[in-house]
Amino acid sequence: MKYKIRQGLDLRMAGTAQREVTALPMPGLCHVRPTDFRWLKPKLLVQPGDAVAVGTPLFADKADERVLVVAPATGTVKEVVRGEKRAIESITIAVNDAAPAVQTVAFDDADTPEKIRNTMLLYGLWPCLRQRPYAIIPSPDSQPKAIFIPCFDSAPLAPDYNLLLASQADDFAHGISILQQLVGADVPLHLCLRDGADNSIFETMQGVNFHYFSGPHPSGTVGPQIHRIAPLDKGETVWYLSPMDVARIGRLFDSHRLGFDKTFALTGPAARKPHYYSTFYGADVSTALHDNLPEGDIRQISGNVLTGKQITDFPTLGFYDYQITLLQEYPERELLGWLLPGFRKWSFSHTFTAWMTQRKPFWFNTSMHGGARNFVMTDVYDKVFPFEAILPLELLKACITHDIEKMEELGIYEVDSEDFALCEVVCPSKTECQQIILEGLKEIKGED
Amino acid sequence: MKLSKISERIGKHFEKGKPLHAFHALFDAIDTFLLTPKNVTRLGSHVRDAVDMKRIMITVMIALLPALLFGMWNVGYQHFTAIGETATGLRCFGYGFLKWLPLVIVTYVSGLTVEIIFAQKRGHEVAEGFFVTGFIIPMIMPPDVPLWIVAVATAFSVLFAKEVFGGTGYNFLNPAIVARAFVFFAYPSVISGDAVWISNAPDAVSGATPLALAMNGSADQLPSAMEMFIGTIPGCFGETSKLAILVGAAILLFTQVASWKVMLSVIAGGWITGALMHIGGLCPATGWQHLLMGGFLFGAVFMATDPVTAAHTSAGKFIYGILVGVLAIVIRVVNKGYPEGMMLAILLMNIFAPLIDYCVVRLTIRRRKILISRKKIQL
Repeated sequence: MKYKIRQGLDLRMAGTAQREVTALPMPGLCHVRPTDFRWLKPKLLVQPGDAVAVGTPLFADKADERVLVVAPATGTVKEVVRGEKRAIESITIAVNDAAPAVQTVAFDDADTPEKIRNTMLLYGLWPCLRQRPYAIIPSPDSQPKAIFIPCFDSAPLAPDYNLLLASQADDFAHGISILQQLVGADVPLHLCLRDGADNSIFETMQGVNFHYFSGPHPSGTVGPQIHRIAPLDKGETVWYLSPMDVARIGRLFDSHRLGFDKTFALTGPAARKPHYYSTFYGADVSTALHDNLPEGDIRQISGNVLTGKQITDFPTLGFYDYQITLLQEYPERELLGWLLPGFRKWSFSHTFTAWMTQRKPFWFNTSMHGGARNFVMTDVYDKVFPFEAILPLELLKACITHDIEKMEELGIYEVDSEDFALCEVVCPSKTECQQIILEGLKEIKGED
Repeated sequence: MKLSKISERIGKHFEKGKPLHAFHALFDAIDTFLLTPKNVTRLGSHVRDAVDMKRIMITVMIALLPALLFGMWNVGYQHFTAIGETATGLRCFGYGFLKWLPLVIVTYVSGLTVEIIFAQKRGHEVAEGFFVTGFIIPMIMPPDVPLWIVAVATAFSVLFAKEVFGGTGYNFLNPAIVARAFVFFAYPSVISGDAVWISNAPDAVSGATPLALAMNGSADQLPSAMEMFIGTIPGCFGETSKLAILVGAAILLFTQVASWKVMLSVIAGGWITGALMHIGGLCPATGWQHLLMGGFLFGAVFMATDPVTAAHTSAGKFIYGILVGVLAIVIRVVNKGYPEGMMLAILLMNIFAPLIDYCVVRLTIRRRKILISRKKIQL
């Protein structure tokens, strides 16, 4: 099936990654952060001083202790960093640089859904799966309505999945068949591809559904894809995971090799030499950052500029991220900025003269460009929100007023905070849409 | 920047617990007026659109300028024509400008005082909405309206049409129209129905507006369509020149500040109703003549499109717009005592906009249910 996304927006941002990969040397430290997993409450399973290898459980999910997050590297637990209210911020491992990041593990062949599930849980690959609604790790006992694999990323300066998956086509194919065995033949697997792109890795798969998407961002995010293909009703869940994680799962079951290696794109208007690096999850990426950081105040973001998290204390990528973006912090205040023509100001509206040069890549920075106001412009969200029969403004109002019944009616189960990222970008009232939706989802989850 | 350093130094005295904290709203308003705001993204998206409410509002004011500048000239021109003098364009313009200046000063002082007091009380920044409201009010008042009436009307509308509901964004009535309606109902002798607004005209030449002429069945005495389109007819500052208003409409539509849905449907609603009334023999003026008369076009372009008081949903905007257009013409034709129906039509539809939205939201929820069940059957 082909789908054309009409409402959306591609930010033309400078700093696309060049297609070359630098292998980062073994880092001294590795930080595993429970905050990478939404709403997960960790139960710590290691102590400082413990020796760990790739696959050693570090912490379990308190809600279901079968869900484990494991060490992505071999070494010794150096420190458990705690923040406010003793919440674990990071488990820092001093990495043994002689041990490889991908290691062979021994387990009996998994041929039933039961065994596949237990092996995934045991080796810390279960958290690769996330479910909608809520974008959390699914319960091991749940059964999804479908599995979605978004095979391209449309976010600003997004990495090219073909490059991230280079030489992993076989692992990917094996991963698909493992997922099919895991959920059974009744649950469809949907591969969402970019129409007209090179999809050779994906198109050879058997027994899956191909969907071709075209149009601007968010055509490559899972929210609009689920909405077009299998919209969610109350009580239903779908799972989704990245193709890189599919390949990771495939490799474990095919050749018994476990690893959390990842190639990521270092991008952004402030990056000196944007290109790809290869390392593993949790690895300290200071070397890569150091090579790219220019003088001045630069924000480092794990992920893209729309939904990424700011890197503060621990220079590392999030579990689900394959991109780092470097962005200039807001330099200085301008005189009468609201009155000037604005030749270098990016805007979705045509209120600045910069619309004439909109096709050139822009140098964005972190300015809010204005103070927060009440909702005034009522039709800007509709232009970047590709969900049919969901009214973004009304849904935000329902979240703000804690009207749970209305949130459900308006379709909150189908959306996630990331689906409102573009609304947030274009909002002239500077409304924090993502945060509002996240709070709404939290409230709904508490009700269930 | 030196100015930003100065602002930082002065700003310290307005922080909480400091002696000048009582005036922080005023300081913030001036500070963010002079310099772009200093806040950076913290939650969510790390980059934001450069547009903010200040930019939106200044765009609306730029769109109002052609009509205002023409209006200044025209007020002078009508005055000198009425007293039988010929004057240069510059002299006409100067006369109009001097008529406009006290009006706008009084409007802003009166309205902003209320705004700043409320911003201070609530701990908010001063919202920019009033800059447009205060710009529009002098444009829709008779040039000779007593200044104290303008001050009272503005304060009334800002206070009771906006601030008591929570400020810009929460109001359900357009404050500029409320100000005009206030003058109309409280001081009817000033803004009376069919007497023409010529500044300082001797009694002998005060005549009827084109609207009144058309309504009284003397359509043959109407100014020519071209005169009404260019705007060389008596009236208040903003509404006479349809050409200047259309230039403003083009700016609003191109910058995507105003909704084309509202604008188009108001005009369509008005034109169709006018045409039907004409065919039915109720009114001698034809559909397109109605569009050229009175404040219809000004209302359609600048007032019905107010995003806060119009319907918020896309489908609702069409319904809202069409009903504004229909009602404006119906009021005009049926109520001969007060031919200008645009103000009342917009006020009335402002009140009904939330109801329209409610219906659209319910229908959308139902449509969503149908869509989901249809997809289930497909799978």
